[in-house]
Order: sequence, then C-alpha cells, then structure tokens
Amino acid sequence: MEEKNSRRDFLKKGLSTTAFAMLATSQANAFSMKNPGRDAKNPKYIGQVGKHFVMVLDLRKCIGCQACTSVCKVENEVPDDQFRTFVTETEIGEFPDVRKAFLPQLCNHCENPACVPVCPTGATFKREDGIVVVDNTVCWGCGYCINACPYDKRYFNKRTKTADKCNFCAQRVDKGLLPGCVETCIGGARVFGDINDKNSDVYKLLSNFSTTVLKEAEGTKPQVFYINLDSKVEELFSTTQSLDDIVKAEEGFQREWMKTREEAQSNG
Amino acid sequence: MQSSRRKFLLGAGAAAAVASVAGYKETLGAVVKQSNKGELAQDSIYFNSPNAEFSFLNDKFVPDENFKVCATTCIGCTTQCGVRVKIDKKTDKVLRVLGNPYNLLSTDPWLPYNTSIKESYKLLSQNGKFETYRSNVCARGNVIFDKADAENRVLKPLKRVGKRGENRWKEIDIDQLIDEIVEGGNLFGEGNVKGLKDVRDTKTPINPKEPIFGPKSNGLSLIATTHEGRFKTVVHRFLKSFGTSNFVGHTSICGLSMRAGEAAYLGNFKKYPHLKPDFENTEYLLSIGTPPGQAGNPFKRQGKLLARARSEKNIDYTIVSPMQGNSDTIAVGGRSHWIPIIPGTDLAFVMGVLRVIINNKLYNEKYLSIPSVKGMKALKDASWTNSTHLIIQDKEGFGKILKDGKTPLVLDAVDNTLKSSNDVIQAVLDFKGSVEYKGKTYSVQTAFHELSTNVNELTLEDYSRECGVSVEKMQEVAKEFTSHGRKASVDCHGGTMHSTGFYTTYAVMMLGAMVGNLNYKGGMSPGGGAYKDFVGKRYNLFGYKGKSKVKHTRIDKTRMAYEKTNEFKEKKAKGINPYPAKDTWYPFTNALESEIITNSAKGYPYKLDVLLTFNSNFMYGTAGGENHIKELISDPKKSIPLFIAVDPFINESSKYADYIIPDSVLYETWGVVHAWAGFQTKVNTLRFPVVKPRQATFKNGEPIEMISFIIALGKKLGLPGFGEKAIKGQDGKWYPFNKPEDFYLRAFENIAMDAKPVPDASDEDIKLSGIEEYVPSLKKICGDNWRKTAYVMARGGRYQDIEHSYQGEFLSHRYKKPIQIYNETVAMSKNSMTGKRRSGTVKYYKQRVVGGETFEKLYPKEQFPLVAFAYKSNVLATPNTSSHIMKEIKYTTYVDINPKTAEKFGLKNGDYVKVSSHDGNTEGYLRFRHGVHPDTIGVEQGDGRRAEGAVDIEINGKVTKGKISRRTGVYYNKIGLKDPSRKIALVTDFVCGSNVRHAIPVKIEKA
Repeated sequence: MEEKNSRRDFLKKGLSTTAFAMLATSQANAFSMKNPGRDAKNPKYIGQVGKHFVMVLDLRKCIGCQACTSVCKVENEVPDDQFRTFVTETEIGEFPDVRKAFLPQLCNHCENPACVPVCPTGATFKREDGIVVVDNTVCWGCGYCINACPYDKRYFNKRTKTADKCNFCAQRVDKGLLPGCVETCIGGARVFGDINDKNSDVYKLLSNFSTTVLKEAEGTKPQVFYINLDSKVEELFSTTQSLDDIVKAEEGFQREWMKTREEAQSNG
Repeated sequence: MQSSRRKFLLGAGAAAAVASVAGYKETLGAVVKQSNKGELAQDSIYFNSPNAEFSFLNDKFVPDENFKVCATTCIGCTTQCGVRVKIDKKTDKVLRVLGNPYNLLSTDPWLPYNTSIKESYKLLSQNGKFETYRSNVCARGNVIFDKADAENRVLKPLKRVGKRGENRWKEIDIDQLIDEIVEGGNLFGEGNVKGLKDVRDTKTPINPKEPIFGPKSNGLSLIATTHEGRFKTVVHRFLKSFGTSNFVGHTSICGLSMRAGEAAYLGNFKKYPHLKPDFENTEYLLSIGTPPGQAGNPFKRQGKLLARARSEKNIDYTIVSPMQGNSDTIAVGGRSHWIPIIPGTDLAFVMGVLRVIINNKLYNEKYLSIPSVKGMKALKDASWTNSTHLIIQDKEGFGKILKDGKTPLVLDAVDNTLKSSNDVIQAVLDFKGSVEYKGKTYSVQTAFHELSTNVNELTLEDYSRECGVSVEKMQEVAKEFTSHGRKASVDCHGGTMHSTGFYTTYAVMMLGAMVGNLNYKGGMSPGGGAYKDFVGKRYNLFGYKGKSKVKHTRIDKTRMAYEKTNEFKEKKAKGINPYPAKDTWYPFTNALESEIITNSAKGYPYKLDVLLTFNSNFMYGTAGGENHIKELISDPKKSIPLFIAVDPFINESSKYADYIIPDSVLYETWGVVHAWAGFQTKVNTLRFPVVKPRQATFKNGEPIEMISFIIALGKKLGLPGFGEKAIKGQDGKWYPFNKPEDFYLRAFENIAMDAKPVPDASDEDIKLSGIEEYVPSLKKICGDNWRKTAYVMARGGRYQDIEHSYQGEFLSHRYKKPIQIYNETVAMSKNSMTGKRRSGTVKYYKQRVVGGETFEKLYPKEQFPLVAFAYKSNVLATPNTSSHIMKEIKYTTYVDINPKTAEKFGLKNGDYVKVSSHDGNTEGYLRFRHGVHPDTIGVEQGDGRRAEGAVDIEINGKVTKGKISRRTGVYYNKIGLKDPSRKIALVTDFVCGSNVRHAIPVKIEKA
C-alpha cells in the first residue's frame, strides 16, 4: 500500500505536471487533432447536435446503495476490478456527532477537459453534445489522459488496453435512452438531460438550486453538478482509502481473480 | 499486514475508491511495453457495451431484434421487486435488468395499468416522462443474474459419496434418485434408510402416547426459504397430499420477533399481518433498528420514498440503532437524527418514551377511548383499540376480557355504567376497580391501565440506565412523536431478533396506538393486499381430492399449547407440577425453522425420518447453526436419517444432504408473489421462465426444479393431486397437473380474471414483452382467457392504480380488526418451562434465556464487555454469493468497531481479530467506524461463506476449487448462543421462539 500510495503521489504531483508542461505547447493542436470517425461525421462521434448533456446529482436523494456502481459494470461490460462510476461512503465527524456522506463520482464531462489536450492521438475528444469520449481504435494506451484527469475518473481498460471512462452511456443516449446509472438510481439522485432545453429536469434543477462542482479551482468546468455537496465531503473524496484493497491483497484475492480470468479466457 | 494501513482512519468502505490507482500501475507497464495490444472492443466509442434494446430517435420506436425484454420478478432478496430483463436471444443470457415501471416496488408513481407496453418503454426514454416514472433496480438486482452461469452451480442430481458434509458427490439419474428416496434401503452402506413410501403412513400414530401428534407421515418435514412464489405450491400440492403438517419458511431466522409482536398488536396470529409506515407522507418517523435505505423490506421502495420525503416533502426522522445506517446523509442537514443504542436495549428506550407519553397525557385520549367499530364510525376515525376493555383481575378468569358472550363490556364515559362496547362511543380509558355484571362483582382494570402500570414499573432513569439513552432524549422523542397528529409513524424489523424482540416490537407498535396512526395517510399501513391468485375466480389451485385437512402437532412445536398434550394432562392427573415441560411450546407462533433439527435430535415431540429442504440455508442463517446444529446434522443417526435438498448451489446446509436436486435460478423460475408491506394498493408480481433453465431435465423435457420434482415424486408415490384431473376448476371441471405451467398459467389466469378482469393483450404487447413463445401454452391452458392472461404476463403481474392509495386522509386498504393494547391470547398462554403466564401487554424484560436467567448473569460484562449485532447489507444477500460481479461491488465484510473502543482494547484499523461469545467465535478484519455505538461491535450480514463456492467440491472425482472471494468476510452467526435452560437448543426470543442473532455478549482480541 505504501508503494502504491507513493506512486500515486508521484503521479499526482510529479508526472502529471511534467506531462502538462511537456504538452502545453501542443495544446491547440490537440484540440484540433484529426480523428477519422469525427471527420467522417459519424453520429456517435459528433453526438446530438444542438444538445448539451449534463448530470445533476442531488445528494439529498442519494442513499449510497451502489445501484449505479452495479449497473454501470454490466451495462458497459467494465472489466473486473475497474469502475466508471462509484459512490464513496464516508463518515464526517466523530461519535456521537457523526454523519454519513455519499459522493457519487463519474467522468465530469468537463467544458475544459484536462484529458483532451494531452491526448497525442486525438482518441479522446468532446462531442458536440458535451459528452467526452474515447475512440479505442485510435488510443495508444499512453495514459497521459489518465494522469491528466484531476478526478481520477479514467482507467486503463485491462481488456482493450486503452484509456476508458464513463461516456454517459452514449450507446443508450444516442438511441434516445438514458445512462444506466440514471435509469437505476433508487433515490432519484442522478438526473440527466439537455441543459439547452429549458423544459428539461436538469435545467430546472440548475435554475432552482445552487450547485457545486468538484475541484472548481482546476478550471476544468465540470458538467456534473452536485446539490448540497458539503465541503468536508469534497475534501475527502480523493483521499479516501478503502480497507477492501488491503484485505484483497492480504488474502491473495487479486491473484485468484486474475487466475479466474485467465482460465475463463483460455476456455473461450 | 503492512504497517501503512494505520494511516487509514475511515469508516465505511468505498467499493472502488482506489481502483483507479491500480489502473495507473498498469498504465505505466503498458506504456513501457507499447507493443502489448489489447483485444479489440466491439465498438470504437461504445467499447463493449451491448447495443440498446430500443431506439427512440425522433420519436420513432425501433426495437432491436437481437434482444427480448421480459417482465418478471427479481428474487435476489426477499423484497421481490418487479423488473424487466433484457435478454440476448442468441446466447439466451440476461444482459441487463431494468425496473418494471408498472410495479410499485420498483417505481413510484407507477404506470397506469392500462398503459401499453410500447408506451411504457417510451415514457422511460429521454423524451418521455422519465423523471416521473423512473424505475430502478438495486445494486444486487443489477448484477446477480450472472450466478445462473456460476461454475459451482448444481446442474445434475447428486448423491453423496463418503460421509455427510465431506462435499464429495456423484451425479445420478433423476429417475434413479427418485427410486432411491422412495424405496429406501441401504443407500450409503451405512445401514437401512427408510424411504418416503414407508414414511407415508397416514394411519399409525407417530407417538402412541400422544395421538394429537398425528400419524407417521409427519416424519417428513420441509424447510424452505422465503415465500418466493413456489413455497405454498409445495405445501398445498405435495406436503398436504403426503400427509405431513411439517413445513416452515425462514421467518424464525429472519424477522419473526417483529412479525409475532405485530401479530399480537394487531390481534391476528393466523395471518401474521404487519405494518409499515406510509414513508412518503409521514411527518415524523421513529425507526427502531431499521434505517430505510439500509435495511427493511421493501428495500428499494423505502429508500426511494425516504429520499423523496426528505428533499421534496416534510419528513423528520430519528433512527434508534447501534449503527448509523444509510438513511442518514449530511446532505439533508437537520432532518435526519441518530440515537445510538446498545443492541437489545431498545425495549427500555421505547418503554421510557411510552412512560413519558402516558404520564404526561401526550396520547390521543379521544382515539384511545373508542371501544368499538360503532365508536370508530361515530367519530369518523380509521381504527380503534381495546384499551378501554376490562381485564378480569379475580383469581377465577384472571387475565380474560370481561365479555357478554363475545362482546366486550366497557364503562361508558358518559355515565360510568357498564355496557356492551357496541353501544358505546367513548368509554372510560383508565380504570381499576370493581364492576357488577349479572349480579356478580368483578375486580377489573382497563387494558390501558395495565399498560400504564407496566410502563411505570421502572423509572425513566432506570430505562435510561438500561439503554444508555438519556432521559432528556426520551422526553424529546416522546414530545416530537406526539406533535404530528396521525402523521407520526414507527418502524422496526430484523433489529428485533433478540431475546426480548417480541415485546420490543409490541412496544414499538404501541407508540403508534398512542397517536392513533393506524390506517392514516402518513401513519401506519397494513399493505394494499393482492388480487386472488392460487384460489381464485377460475380455479382453486390448492383444492384436490384426497388433500389432508387435519392439523397435527408440528415438529417445531408451534401452533399448539403444551397444556393440550397428554404429557401435561398425565402429570396434572397425578397431582405433580406439570411445569417444566420437557421443552418449549409455542402456541401462537406459526413456524420455527431454527427448532427442527434440534427437536428431531431430541425426539421431542418426535423424530423425523426425512428432511426436504428447498433453497434453504438454515445452517448459515441460524445464529449458532454452524457450531451447534452441524454436529446433529452431520450424523444421520442423530437427527435426520434422510436429507434431500433442492438447491441450485451447494450451500452450508445442503452440503450435508444425502441427495441434491438441482433447481432453477432467478429468471428461470415460476412463481407468484405479493409485496410484504409498505405499499397501499394491490400487487401481484409473477415469474415464468424467460431464459432456459441451465440444469438437466426429466425425460419429458421439463427442467428438474422444485415444482417438476414434486410432480414426479408425487406421481411415483401415487399421491392424490397429480396427473390428469388434478386441478379443480371453479366451473366444476377438472384439469391436469403434469407440468409447472399447468399450475402457474392458471394462477396467472386467476389474477387476470379477479375483480374486473383485465383487458386483452394486443399482439404488440405480446411481442414487445417477449412472451410470444408462451402463446401456444396460453391458448391451450387458458382458452378464451388467454389474451387476458398474456396481459398480466406482459406486465409482470397485476397492479392496482395509484389513485386507489388513499381516501382523503385515510388509507384505502385499511386494517379492520382492533389494535390489541392487551392481547388476551398472549396473556392466557404460559411459558411451558416456567409455568409462568406471559404479560398480555408490553412489559420490560432484560435479555434472557427461556428459563428466565438474564444475559447479564450468564455472560458477565467483565468477561464479555461488548455486545454484538448483525446488520443488513444493502448489497449482499446470502442466495447471491455465487454472483461474481456482486463481489466486485462489495468484496468483503468487517468487524465494525468504534475507534475509541478499539483503542481501549489496543486494536487498530485493519487488525485481524477474533470475536468470541460464550458458545462460539468468529474472525475477521477490524474496521473503524465512528457511527457505531462504543459498547458494541457490528457485522454486515452475508459474507464469510463456508460453502456456495467457498470450499472445494468434488463431483464424479473432479474437484472445483473453493474461492477466497466467497470465503472472505465475517461469518457472523458463528457467535450464536446455546440456551443453557434447555436441552439441545439455541437461544431464542423467550416468547415466540425466533432465533437470537443480536445483542450477543462478546469479547474481542487479536487473532
């Protein structure tokens, strides 16, 4: 764990800044980087023109049930031990003055995505409807975008060996349906829609409530908005460690899981 | 373990918080290699996500023909929500689960029932009314369908080789298996085993001294799981045909103390009704140990309604619990309150609150003074109580309610004279004295007076000392609870599974009587009921010639008083004290799963010959099972000579079976279920196989599962009610029972035809709900009604529309009987071990064993300084351990402890610890949690498995290795206690006999 943590610190403070510095000059190029699918005006690369999709997370309604975490795994066939979205469950305060706090997290589909300019291939880009996507046929798996994301919401897909992340379930949204996590949210905390549409639920919520975004100071302009996000929760979200990982390591679970996967693959 | 973990001071686990960190590591590795190309994703942008099942672009609806979407029921936990599943037609695999928007357990408000299937999909699309009709699935429901293809699933009938419990098996032909269990013989080389054919003797008494115990056919007992839609079928069509009175569900290890306590409050030990708050409209919810969103049933619906009530409506809620559950969030500020409490002392807290309410007259006096239906109607109220009824205090008739025939007598508040309660609108509430009736003087007191006397037995300070909640807090709660008129509600559930759970529940409900919340909007609801299913308009599916109607003494000694036995009568006749009996009896308990193996071992009331289990896991689920039942079940001579399990997986119980019959799983099964509580309108949710069952079939092609098995077995035994002319039509005709569909399609037809029959399903409905393959059977079985039956199947059930929920401020579906401030049945019954009467109303008791000794004395605090409790998981549920993905969402469970307590014992976050009670111990990793009472340790239920893929299984000589991911976590029930006041028994609720899993005194140390 010590090792992992220090690596993480290095990545956060060291490598990611280096990467930024290195690529800063080519930022403008990165935005206009060519991508065959986008150039061919393929709808799944362009998105629904005229719309701007956002998500509002009404934390008053989140019961920390992990239904979203679950559905995302199956809807997107996310590889074992990897997640596009999840809900951190934490405690604020000490007994007896203690409160529960839940923070559903996913790709923020930022207006100024830190992941896009650092991509050397044009694999990751923002569609016209605001959804930030990864083209896995163009991605080299260099990992710059993963390091650049201030929210840790990208991962290296073990199967495709490319960057991967939440794309608001574009496969459903592009068909007129909704992201899996929104469909299954028990408390109704996750609300998704087109902010350009004044009749949309997201527009109404954003007009009626003051909202917060994560790490506003990063200047990334996230398009995932939180209602009633306590500042203490925001501070916690990136530093929280789960005992699960320690227990998994100690019990030898990771090894077993990898073995199971290999066996499954070799059995076709 | 690495020292670094000391740094992590954190309560609850975040499933995936560091998953991305692992991702970095692999990224770097891949970058270095560069050449290491991964597998090609299915789509450049959508990766490996399956295509959407429909397209709604530009309002044009285009279904994807590769999939079918069927409405069915999730049985991943006991809530049993209506869902729709997306199935890949080519692979016959479930890809995704969606909520069923017609079903109120998944949706609120739910769709009007006459909405077409196409419209229902459209309403849930981007341009529909998604935010109104959002229909969802919980964390487990979303993923557990993968267990159908788990590597440890039982696909063929198995017979054990080697000794019981060794988990070594051989596959065996189903016909041969049935032959062996019917004929018996030297089946295992361990001596002769009596077959079912010989057990089925419906004439010879099983115990000649006690004819009331019934015939030898009672030697067969069934232990099932929850009512999942097939249990009643097995009971009525097989067991009652066989001639046994022995069948139990899982209630005694689930929430029996709650159910029994509420049955006492509601005066109905036959149907065992229970109440739930009207979560959405209540203004103040006081929940004892059942935080909505964490626990309780219906899980999803409660969570959803609470989330809405606290953000859009007007709820304030207080959770009294050893652990702060998921009903709390800092995002709702001051609306949510937590009162930490020591497990098993909730009765003291509630008695304290009742004392404040009664002594300060905070109760609704007008309501409590209503003595009859007439009074209720005159005052336009929605319910009434027996608080003004008079209880005889004379030696003769002590404890009985003073009645004229069947009608209770009360003192009219107008003129203080004794009258029939039917003639009185307001009666005297608090009275003790004598009355004259028909020339005889009776010493009496009102039920309310008895209640008042009992709550005043202890002072507020006493109650406070017992439970650790301050007097001020109790006063505050009492005041708050009584400040919302009828819109104050109470709740409790599995948290009452401790030795005084019965009276705890009774007391919790009693709070409701103080404000008169029953049948009120925002108050308490008995549920909305259901349409008639098994016994309905078209068929009586439970009726057939030759069905046994006699009720005999059950193996669990429930539904009968000791005083009816010859044992009692003979002792009495001889002039010796009939108490104690040889063991406990439970006159008003319905069933006790946790007493069966032990009773058979004792041979009291009798010994069983055959145990049949149906998806049951009494071993893992019973506190103390693994330590104390195991030795009885592992030796065929001790308790169960022949053990047959119907189970899709080999669990901690079925691993001791002699034979295992495979069973269908989840969406492969048939069933009809109702919602339990917490809803206001009629609901029937149903299931029919929407994917092909994976397991072996009978020669006729029917998959081997519970229902097809009882049909085959029934026919082999020549039992009545199987084959041709076995199902009774209400038209006087008889219909065949050869396949499960013969039964279930007719149950669906009953539902369709009940009340005002449903409309006909359109061809489009049938196509879009994926039930085309059922059309031939529907036409054959349901005849003219086939499209109506299809209408119900297309919607996964039948549901009354939401506008039928309320009538003004009343609920539409109201509980009709009076609330029992005093329950005569309970009062007139005696503890068969002590001969003592039970209290007819709530009364304070410390945690105790049946003989009366308190935990305090038996398990002194010096030796066992902490109190253990288990809590419900919002992700894990025992029958789903074989789901690979579920374990990704929640990998493991911990021993949760308050950091301050841990410090006292020199323990650190992440330490591997041993938790020991007087009679058992368990191990696990310690997790710091500030939201846990410092005098306790808590464990999330559902992990630490010792079967179901956690251990090696050998079938036909081939070994499937057990997995760490199934074994990980804390096996809580290993700390269960033995009752030292009984022979071979676990500690139970001393009134109703439920298995005690909470409030267990323990010590903790480094393992």
